[in-house]
Amino acid sequence: MFETTLSELEVQARQQIATAKTVEELEPVRVEVLGRKGALARISKELAKLPPEDRARVGKLLNAVKQSLEAAVEARKAEFQALALKARLDAEWFDLTLPAPEPERGNLHPITQIQNEIEDLFTSLGFTILDGPEVETEYHNFDALNIPPDHPARDMQDTFWLTDGNLLRTHTSAVQIRGLERFTPPLRMIAPGRVFRNEEVDASHEHTFYQLEGMMVDREISVAHLIYFMKTLLSAIFGREVTVRLRPGYFPFVEPGFELDIQCLICGGAGCPVCKQGGWVELLPCGLVHPNVLRMSRIDPELWNGFAFGLGLTRLVMMRYGIDDIRHLQSGDLRFLRQF
Amino acid sequence: MKFSYNWLCELVEGMNTPPKQLGLLLTMKTAECEGVEEVSGTEPECPPDSIIEIDNKSLTHRPDLWGHYGLAREVGAIVGGKLRDPVHMELLPQGPPPIAVSINDMALCPRYSALALENVTVRPSPRWLQRRLEVIGLNPINNVVDVTNYVMAELAQPLHAFDWDLLRGSTILIRTAQPGEHLVALNEQEYALDPRDLVIADERGPIALAGVIGGLDTCITDRTRRIVLESANFQAASIRRTSSRHKLRTDASMRFEKAQDPANTVRGLARALELLQEFSPGIRVVAGVADQGRLLRLPEPILLPLDWLARKLGKTVDPEEVKRIFERLGFLVSPDSSGAFMVTPPSWRATKDISLRDDLLEEVGRMIGYDSIPSQPPTALVSPPLQHPERLFHRQVRATLVELGFTEVYNYSFVSEEQAKAFGYKVEDHVRIANPIASDQCLMRLNLLPGIWKNIQQNSKHFENFRLFEIGREIHKSATGLPQEIPHLVAAVFRRDDGQQGLMELKRVSEHLMPGSEVMPASARPYEHPARTADVNWHGTTVGRLFELHPSMAGETNGRAAILDLDLKQIESLMSQDKRYTPLRRFPSSAFDLSVIAQARDLAGTMQKHMAALVGECLESIEFVRQYSGPPLPEGKKSVSFRLKVASPDHTLSSEELAAIRQRIIDGMRTLGYDFRL
Repeated sequence: MFETTLSELEVQARQQIATAKTVEELEPVRVEVLGRKGALARISKELAKLPPEDRARVGKLLNAVKQSLEAAVEARKAEFQALALKARLDAEWFDLTLPAPEPERGNLHPITQIQNEIEDLFTSLGFTILDGPEVETEYHNFDALNIPPDHPARDMQDTFWLTDGNLLRTHTSAVQIRGLERFTPPLRMIAPGRVFRNEEVDASHEHTFYQLEGMMVDREISVAHLIYFMKTLLSAIFGREVTVRLRPGYFPFVEPGFELDIQCLICGGAGCPVCKQGGWVELLPCGLVHPNVLRMSRIDPELWNGFAFGLGLTRLVMMRYGIDDIRHLQSGDLRFLRQF
Repeated sequence: MKFSYNWLCELVEGMNTPPKQLGLLLTMKTAECEGVEEVSGTEPECPPDSIIEIDNKSLTHRPDLWGHYGLAREVGAIVGGKLRDPVHMELLPQGPPPIAVSINDMALCPRYSALALENVTVRPSPRWLQRRLEVIGLNPINNVVDVTNYVMAELAQPLHAFDWDLLRGSTILIRTAQPGEHLVALNEQEYALDPRDLVIADERGPIALAGVIGGLDTCITDRTRRIVLESANFQAASIRRTSSRHKLRTDASMRFEKAQDPANTVRGLARALELLQEFSPGIRVVAGVADQGRLLRLPEPILLPLDWLARKLGKTVDPEEVKRIFERLGFLVSPDSSGAFMVTPPSWRATKDISLRDDLLEEVGRMIGYDSIPSQPPTALVSPPLQHPERLFHRQVRATLVELGFTEVYNYSFVSEEQAKAFGYKVEDHVRIANPIASDQCLMRLNLLPGIWKNIQQNSKHFENFRLFEIGREIHKSATGLPQEIPHLVAAVFRRDDGQQGLMELKRVSEHLMPGSEVMPASARPYEHPARTADVNWHGTTVGRLFELHPSMAGETNGRAAILDLDLKQIESLMSQDKRYTPLRRFPSSAFDLSVIAQARDLAGTMQKHMAALVGECLESIEFVRQYSGPPLPEGKKSVSFRLKVASPDHTLSSEELAAIRQRIIDGMRTLGYDFRL
């Protein structure tokens, strides 16, 4: 008889657990069946009336039913929790395409970026970075570079003169001289910086622009070494092999002097507006350091020689990003500067 | 400089390289060809031609290339054709000259040659000659003047023709100008001569500015019957100075300033004579050539060791090839016993261009073609490069600013007098440019603010709010030597709000760059907001300024700009790499809040400092929590709350100890005039 009652109780309780829709509905079912005064507890009290041989058997059965129903209640509770969590998480839906609050990250000036890149490259090749004044003496900017007064090469660089007789450096080559004065060879150095030319400003001319001067002085430096360094430099800058050509160029502080052209990266040498249809872009004046320059800085040209080059950072930036108006670079216009 | 292709062909035997290809060859071996332009021609005397345009800058060191004959020599050396000399020296008459030449200073005028001619007919030149001048950009005038220009364009030797009948006396004087002398030149301008100017003079006075321009009074006219042809050589530097002093650059001065060859003067006369005999029939030479000057200096031979040449080029060149290259360019080569050549440059290369073996290296290098030299890494000592601390520091500053949302701008180093005054600087304190492009760019910036101010004005037209910064140099006058160049950072935040956020953002920038830096309110300059200006202090030194731009400077921006200006040089000098570890506290700390009642304009920073001092060594941290003003506080008062954490290094603080610390603060602050909300 007990067996039947337990079996019916179990079936009924299971059904009630399954149909309970909330934790609140489930709790009365649990109390009614499994509680201290619940159905199973009541049956348990009845067990004492049974003969001992039946008591153990029915007691076992009762425990089994109890455990099974407890498990069912726990399982149902877990289901409710899972559902509740699911609902909460769903309610926390958030539009991740909304913009992040400001400030956004700012931007480095494109010339700073390219200058950093090239400085790092040369540092890795053992070059020291040097700095020099923007206001220079006539001696450092011209005379010491083998450009005496009344030399026609002074026309190649229109100069801003100051009322005190000094000038605004027309090239970073002036820093070469400061380096030669400061260090003893062998030496490898670069000098990036702002330079000035007295020119009217238009889309392709600026009175203020950026250059990077480089120099290596050692025992036996040849034209072949210069070519090696320039090719290494340009391949690193452009991230690919570049085709270069070296042709005579006149700069009084080098002998021989060269203009190094690269094959136009836009058209591959076929001719386009960027290379003025020529297929080549003039990029790097360079040469072997003139013995007079070494001598003026008290370095014996019989023992030491070297190469020097000048890289137009402004030109490089314009080439890399296809900038068609040089004036943007010093405009301070954030519509332009935020693109880099 | 423009060259006629046809003219070059006449001077090089067997020349058949097409113009474009010739241009490219010249670019690669001699001087930069900027373009080749075809010129059409239909008249039989004017066949089609091509203009080969060579960049003047690449001819700066080559006096010989300022004429077709010089360039033809290069062409011959490159393509292998023989050079044809257009000069026939045998045409020049022998005998005493009809005019005397007197040179005062042979350093300024190393040679002066002249030839007198009579029975001259001045008339237009033949069409082909006019055309040839036109092609290279010269205006035909009359046969006599055209011949002088033709010879200049051919031989690079400038000539000048005087009307002999208009010269006074029989001596041509080459002397410096006397004080007060004037010359009306061919361009009809009158020049007040400087005593340093070299002039050609007759008995009466100057008749030409030597090497630059002739005088109007003695020039060739339709009535001219007798002429004196001048073919002279002048010191390059002197001509250049005269030319720039009078702002007068002429075809002649451009050539002379490159140091022309004194050997060339009589060649010019011979060539001119030949042409004049053709274009002015009946012309007659009057006696011999006048030729004065110092002895021509013979070019010195230069020793060229072939192993040195190979080492410098990075390539070995066959000695026969080296010899051939030099000979084609007009150098003399004789072998030396020890694997070297003695190379003597020709006179037209020896005035300035060639004097060292390095110069010879260039001749060989360019003619074999630099592209034939293989790239080769050098062997050099491996050593780590020196660090550049300033540049590394500036990089960190830039990186910080970018992280905090600021975009970098570059501004010019120039400011106008108005800009300088607008920011309260005296115009005379600036380094001044003697030859500015425009009057608004005549001073070197003493401060980065004018540029940043302009950036704010312009960007406010496009953006509601923005952040920007610049790192640049202030240029300060110095009593001795070069001006001081002081690197500064100026950062700005522009917003259309009450302005507080911008100031706080910049304070954050300052704290990122200088941990522990403080801002202390300071009296404002005219362009600063009087109630929102502070010094930035670090390690006891004032290193910059934090302020809001005075509303009077806001202009049309309709917003507020907060600005931070820092002296990066000073900050760098205060930075210490010396960091030391502090042991972590082993005993727990306790926290409590305190709300100070203070006057509305009492500084929270000051309160915090006082409280920290009162706690002493037990202080772990003190943080601002919030501030409040309004009821129930009386008018003019505010409450500022702080959270303090305290701990002892050697035991856990008891509640009695905590209470004592708290009481110490309260009592101490009260004696300083503060109150508490307890």
